[in-house]
Amino acid sequence: MENEGKTMTGEESLRIITEMINKTKVNISQSSFHLLFWGWLIFAISLSEYLLYKFTNFTSPYYIWFFVIPGIFVSVIYGFVNGRKARVQTYADWLYMWTWIGFLIAAIVLFIIHSKRLDTFATYILLLSGFPTFISGFIIKFRPLIAGGICFWIIALIVNFAGSSLAPLGMPVAVLFGYLVPGYLLRNKVGHGTI
Amino acid sequence: MARFKELDPILHSQLRLAIISLLAGIEAAEFTYLQEQTGATAGNLSIQITKLKEAGYIKVIKKFRKNYPLTLCSITSLGQKKFIEYAQALQDYLEPEKPE
Repeated sequence: MENEGKTMTGEESLRIITEMINKTKVNISQSSFHLLFWGWLIFAISLSEYLLYKFTNFTSPYYIWFFVIPGIFVSVIYGFVNGRKARVQTYADWLYMWTWIGFLIAAIVLFIIHSKRLDTFATYILLLSGFPTFISGFIIKFRPLIAGGICFWIIALIVNFAGSSLAPLGMPVAVLFGYLVPGYLLRNKVGHGTI
Repeated sequence: MARFKELDPILHSQLRLAIISLLAGIEAAEFTYLQEQTGATAGNLSIQITKLKEAGYIKVIKKFRKNYPLTLCSITSLGQKKFIEYAQALQDYLEPEKPE
């Protein structure tokens, strides 16, 4: 790019501004990893919980949810390592990251509050999960993720009224449509680097 | 053309305008990222970054990552204000005269 010594027209100025602003859209290279990682982890845990509940004599199958803890470490380490490698940090990247950190804190608080009534925990965690998913969809301007957030809310309602036989299936179905489908669609877009 | 001369001379330069436009939408960017996006030479980019820094439009932080020097640039609130003013002045210039 040239600099001084040449008169720049208004149209040229506008072209430069537009071109440069378009280069700084949200970086989505990390987003698909987290969606797929959490999608598969929660899918496996929730489905295993359902199968243990249905076909074994385990009295507390929800203990399997403690596998979430190593998942948090994997996610944080991956985010930290890749964040350090990133040569640019957009405001949207920050917003995206803090939305999910806020969700994690809220989920821990919800777990503490609800630890004595884990039978109805699924409804509330689904309700809470919809929010960061929905907001993230808007941050990265990706409609399947917005729809994924709405899916969580619809399934939260269904789980609440479905009764104990169907309710445990709510979580695997929700992460399938809320995380995994948008995650794979997003991964296909990562080749472009940005949305 | 009279109003065009009112455009901020610090920003009315291809490379400086490109740098400020890039930084306007992000928290911070590395020198190499700016070089890659603008296609400028390291020397030219360095000169223009210094001019923007001296004008108070951007902030430059120098640190090390794995023993390698790292230059991080970010826009200041003055830089944001001047960029918005420049864009508004540009809009006025490009808009056709409205009949009275």
